[in-house]
Amino acid sequence: MAGMSGKRLQKELAKITGVLPPGITLVSAENLREWQMDLTVPDNPIYPADHVYRLKFMFSTNYPIEAPECTFIQLSTPVRKIPIHPHIYSNGIICLDLLDKQGWSPVHNVESVCISIQSMLASNTKNERPPGDAEFVRSNRSRPRDINFLYHDPSV
Amino acid sequence: MSRSRSFSRSPRQSIQARFGFFDASQQPPMPIHSSSNPTGNLLEVTFPPAELQRSMSSNHASLRGMRRLEARRQMEETNYLSSKARSQNLNPPVDLRLLDYVTPYDDNLMCPVCRCAFIDPVVLVECDHCFCRDCIRQTWATTASAYTPLGPRGDCPSCRTPAKLGARSATSKILVNITDDLVVRCPNSEQGCEATVKRGEVQDHVGIYCGYSKQECYAEDCEQPVRRRDADLGCLHYNVTCFDCRETMQKAELEAHWKAKCPDRKVACPQCQEPILSRVLDKHSREMCPAVTVSCPGAVLGCTSRSKRSQAEVHAQTCTLAILAPVLAAQKQRLDEQEVVQRTMSRKLEVLESGFAAVEEILYPKHSVQAKEDDVRADERRIPLLLEDGDSARRRHTRLESTDVEDMDEQFSGFEFPSPTSSRPMSSRLIASLPPSRPAPPPPGPRPQDLPEPFSTDFDMPFPSAFPPPAAHGPYVSPLHHLLSMHEALRDELSRVSTAVQELDGRQSMHTLNENLRMREEMGYLGAQVTGLSRQVGWLTSTQLQRQQHQHGAGVGSSAGGGGMDGIAGAGAGVEAAVSAVGAAASALRGAAQVRAQARRGHSEEGRTKL
Ligand SMILES: [Zn+2]
Ligand SMILES: [Zn+2]
Ligand SMILES: [Zn+2]
Ligand SMILES: [Zn+2]
Ligand SMILES: [Zn+2]
Ligand SMILES: [Zn+2]
Ligand SMILES: [Zn+2]
Repeated sequence: MAGMSGKRLQKELAKITGVLPPGITLVSAENLREWQMDLTVPDNPIYPADHVYRLKFMFSTNYPIEAPECTFIQLSTPVRKIPIHPHIYSNGIICLDLLDKQGWSPVHNVESVCISIQSMLASNTKNERPPGDAEFVRSNRSRPRDINFLYHDPSV
Repeated sequence: MSRSRSFSRSPRQSIQARFGFFDASQQPPMPIHSSSNPTGNLLEVTFPPAELQRSMSSNHASLRGMRRLEARRQMEETNYLSSKARSQNLNPPVDLRLLDYVTPYDDNLMCPVCRCAFIDPVVLVECDHCFCRDCIRQTWATTASAYTPLGPRGDCPSCRTPAKLGARSATSKILVNITDDLVVRCPNSEQGCEATVKRGEVQDHVGIYCGYSKQECYAEDCEQPVRRRDADLGCLHYNVTCFDCRETMQKAELEAHWKAKCPDRKVACPQCQEPILSRVLDKHSREMCPAVTVSCPGAVLGCTSRSKRSQAEVHAQTCTLAILAPVLAAQKQRLDEQEVVQRTMSRKLEVLESGFAAVEEILYPKHSVQAKEDDVRADERRIPLLLEDGDSARRRHTRLESTDVEDMDEQFSGFEFPSPTSSRPMSSRLIASLPPSRPAPPPPGPRPQDLPEPFSTDFDMPFPSAFPPPAAHGPYVSPLHHLLSMHEALRDELSRVSTAVQELDGRQSMHTLNENLRMREEMGYLGAQVTGLSRQVGWLTSTQLQRQQHQHGAGVGSSAGGGGMDGIAGAGAGVEAAVSAVGAAASALRGAAQVRAQARRGHSEEGRTKL
């Protein structure tokens, strides 16, 4: 199985280093366990064009059968902040059905996940964090994909 | 290749012998299954008895039939060989998903899950999407919660249609053939095999032909694996030592070690062709290789020259920019250091300025917007005023409490404040030991430390000595902080005192009110008594006068009159005594009222002193 995940990631990497959709760039993919991507959001005043957000992908050996763990991360150099969105917690955890056990499909890949997150940000109109953000950030110790989010908002 | 052919001779003979046996008995051969290998299913050939018998019967009739049988025999042989190779378990089954394809293939042949050309593809009849059998099984194995008796089922990974893997799910032979005809590299290509084969035959290549896969050693009593290409060299399972790194290993492994692992092997540098130890090759090409193209050391300053490392040194000796580069780099480093220092300094300055502003705000809330040159004058105006207030309050206080502090005043009258220009900060202990009643001479300039002094001994606030002493090198930072914290403490103290005073005042006025009420009642009662008495006296006097007039008018005898006079005089004395008693009572009342008033004054005085 490890072989399959590695082979597939190699293929994805080869494709990604070739051409990527605008606003998405590969930052690092030193090994086949963790990749980092940079993201900009077009045409949304909440996320100015010069604001870049860093996505971190963690792949298990069971990828792509299992979803990658995808979170936003905060950096000081270069400046990367967690984008404000009603489905993104301030610790970077993204509440997106695509990334959890039920919503994931092995047909998805890093590029399609990036595009989904980018469009989720681009269509956002509320400049706010999810309800109970502080409480969640303080109390959550489980890994993102083990969290059972309630997708009460069908608009995302 | 010749070696492997020579190897395969004996199995071929045995196969032919077996087929001869089958031919003779006219029995269908037993199908050879390799059920242990899931990926080898395309190689399995089963002979349906009817078809075989048909081909057997046409065996004598046509050459074509002969050819077909020969083809079958070859397939059987291949199957046998591969199963034998597999049963030796030296070469694990090839994972087709890990293969490298030599030629690009159509994206439509790619499984969306593993992103490889379909391997044993199945189609989901519900939505017509196609996946590798293993891919769809694994996908559903993680999502399906319970065991499903009707075969694997789940949602299509592409369109999420609920689907199942039925008996008729296999796709058409065309797709299988197309994907199996894709040309791949041998999985042993890293070990050195340069073969490219059709994907459908890669298992055979690895299991039978590839010189870089393992097989059992031919030598007797030796069952260790050896590379197929080395099998004819005799048993290689004896220990040898690598010439380069002196590591001990089996002869069979030496070549692989020498080619890939040995750290002391000399390899030709890809750039300069010099033999370089493989463990330093990285460093060589990064730092030393003369054939590597490097840019001039002055590139940071704009020199665009790029040349081979060997010529770069010649260039660097003539290039002005390259000569300047180290100097400028050193300067840049110094500049950076200075910048860091400057940044910390400016941050310090910022903190100080904000501290000053805060102090100004506290000291002169109304004048905080005044120009800077006014500040000094404002200081001079204000601080003495504050001191004056404190002193007067204290003086009143001491008058009530004791008088012997006056003596201490004399002791300290000679004390001088250090001049404000003196760089030595005033000892806090000295301030704390100052007597409370000594009116401090107003300092000529702003003296942050002097300010809290008049209050400090009257209330139990922390002494200035409780604060860290001002730092010797920075006479401003610490006193400022002292002043700020003192102000805070004072403010707290003041609010506490003022609430206490308010409370006291309230209690006092209540008490006074109560006392007053009682007094008024008493006085009213006394007044009423006095009125009654005076009325009685008036009545008694008038009756007496009447009686006197009557006696005068009647001309009564002196003896009787004298006796009557005596009685009247006694009554008059009684009345007088009563009147004087009333007077005394009244004066007592007045005295009491005076005492009250005094007490009240005393209280209010005390309250004011506290303030
Ligand atoms: Zn697949
Ligand atoms: Zn489908
Ligand atoms: Zn090979
Ligand atoms: Zn041997
Ligand atoms: Zn060696
Ligand atoms: Zn070299
Ligand atoms: Zn130069």
